[in-house]
Amino acid sequence: MAATVSREPGREERRPSPLVETHGLTKRYGSRITAVRELDLTVKRGEVYGFLGPNGAGKTTTLRMLLGLIRPTSGEARVLGEKPGSPAGLEKVGALVESPAFYPYLSGRDNLRVMARYSGAPRSRIGEVLDQVELSGRAKDKFKKYSLGMKQRLGVAAALLKDPELLILDEPTNGLDPKGMADMRGLIRRLGRGDRTVLLSSHLLGEVEQICDRIGVISKGSLVAEGSIAELRGRQGLLVRAEPVEEAARIAERLAGVEEVAVADGALRLRTNPDRAAEINAKLVSAGLRVSELRPAGQSLEEAFLELTGGETV
Amino acid sequence: MLASFRAELLKIRKRPATWVLALVWFVLLVLFGYVFTYSFAANPPDPPENQPAAVQQQQEALNEQLLNGLLPENLLENLFTNGTFNLGAAIVLILGAMAAGSEYGWGTLKTSLTQRPSRFGLLAGKALALAVFLVLFVALGLAAGALSSYGVALLEDAAVEWPPLEELAKAAGVGVLTLGVWGFLGFALAMLFRGTALAIGLGLAWALAVENTIALLPIDSDWWESFRRLTLGENTASLGSIFGDPNPAFGIPEPLVEPERAAITLGLYVAIFAALSLFLLLRRDVT
Repeated sequence: MAATVSREPGREERRPSPLVETHGLTKRYGSRITAVRELDLTVKRGEVYGFLGPNGAGKTTTLRMLLGLIRPTSGEARVLGEKPGSPAGLEKVGALVESPAFYPYLSGRDNLRVMARYSGAPRSRIGEVLDQVELSGRAKDKFKKYSLGMKQRLGVAAALLKDPELLILDEPTNGLDPKGMADMRGLIRRLGRGDRTVLLSSHLLGEVEQICDRIGVISKGSLVAEGSIAELRGRQGLLVRAEPVEEAARIAERLAGVEEVAVADGALRLRTNPDRAAEINAKLVSAGLRVSELRPAGQSLEEAFLELTGGETV
Repeated sequence: MLASFRAELLKIRKRPATWVLALVWFVLLVLFGYVFTYSFAANPPDPPENQPAAVQQQQEALNEQLLNGLLPENLLENLFTNGTFNLGAAIVLILGAMAAGSEYGWGTLKTSLTQRPSRFGLLAGKALALAVFLVLFVALGLAAGALSSYGVALLEDAAVEWPPLEELAKAAGVGVLTLGVWGFLGFALAMLFRGTALAIGLGLAWALAVENTIALLPIDSDWWESFRRLTLGENTASLGSIFGDPNPAFGIPEPLVEPERAAITLGLYVAIFAALSLFLLLRRDVT
């Protein structure tokens, strides 16, 4: 049995182990198109992993390979230690890939009945997952009459039928209005609590930043970075607005722990640990300088993303 | 596989198009198998005044023959030997195409496959559920024929004598093979083209235009006859002849294939169509 790690305080801490692992995963279409190139991806048990990349970067192709829907051209993948797409591997995986696809002539509940029969989930789970996604009140309506938000929630409900250890969600907020997006993010946060692992693909930086513990950035089919949000942002520092700025720069250069000082737009940008803000403020004030602004300033995730993807927009 | 079979049964059962097709099948069979023929035979046009008596007698005998053919005792000849049951080819071809092809159109194949079933299990369940509904369509066809022939017997004040049970059981088998081959052709075409539209379009073109043209083309050669022996229409017609000779009033040509061989050929076709569908599902990516 694989080890797990819990993010909730007071719960048993166990050794993290990868729930999803790929090595050199590649998918080519013909000789000209390489959708995914030599992808090495690791999703640890219990985390909410954000798979971030511009449209067409290869996110959905990767997820489809992890679910066994498409076969890789080369490389290998393991999902819960099993071959992707094998019934044993899918037993504890729930997925919503791209847009939610269901039978339009069936009600939400009947669609889940069909899916429960495929998965072998007990019928009692249908009511539970409908409650979880807050769709019980409209469960008797035909799928074709659902709004996009309701369709997405039904997709999540179907993914939850097996009470999965791993939940794979591909752009679950696509096409939703702001309230729908907020609701969906709240739902994903709730689902990601505890031991459940969530692999969330998105091209929305804010979404990933709000929800995910760790991020993998994919660009043109290749994984260009993987780590926590703080790690991806990289250099952290402080922005200081003090008068006179030249004097402030001289003092800052002499301070221990300040690795770099730059002046831009009449303000200082210090490469240092943001926790030293109070100490730096005290030094500047005691030297008779007027400090009007002092705040942490690092590379935003957007800046980091643009740097990693070579300026590709999302 | 059983889980997939249960899921597929639920889907086909709850699909309105299934029951629309069933209704169309029932109405088609009653209209073309009985109502039109009975209306013509029971209400023949007045003969021209100068028509010779011999021709008139011939006409009356033909009408008598047509009416007799509609009675319960001739139920199986009318349904199978005269080709009435083959009207269902187009209907079940659509049913089969819908069972497989709609999944691609709606994108539900990926939703189903990510739930856990193996591709083999999913396809086997789907094929089995289709087979169950094909059996139901056969039963519906037999019931439509039985009801109609009973109605004709009442109208004509004729005795109601049904074919023996053994013959009825044989008819069920012939019906399953006749509709099964077309249903699974639609199923395989839908898997091949990953959708319903092209599968139904090409399937109907083959069933209604190509097969009939092949049967009617007056080519006198051994290779042509060998080719005709392989067509679905020829084999279903030949299998239907197991219940007697075709009614001469319908001008149906003599069957080319022995009924036993036709049964084996049709069974092989069903197996080939199912195997092709499985091969396509196993080999292809689901995008």
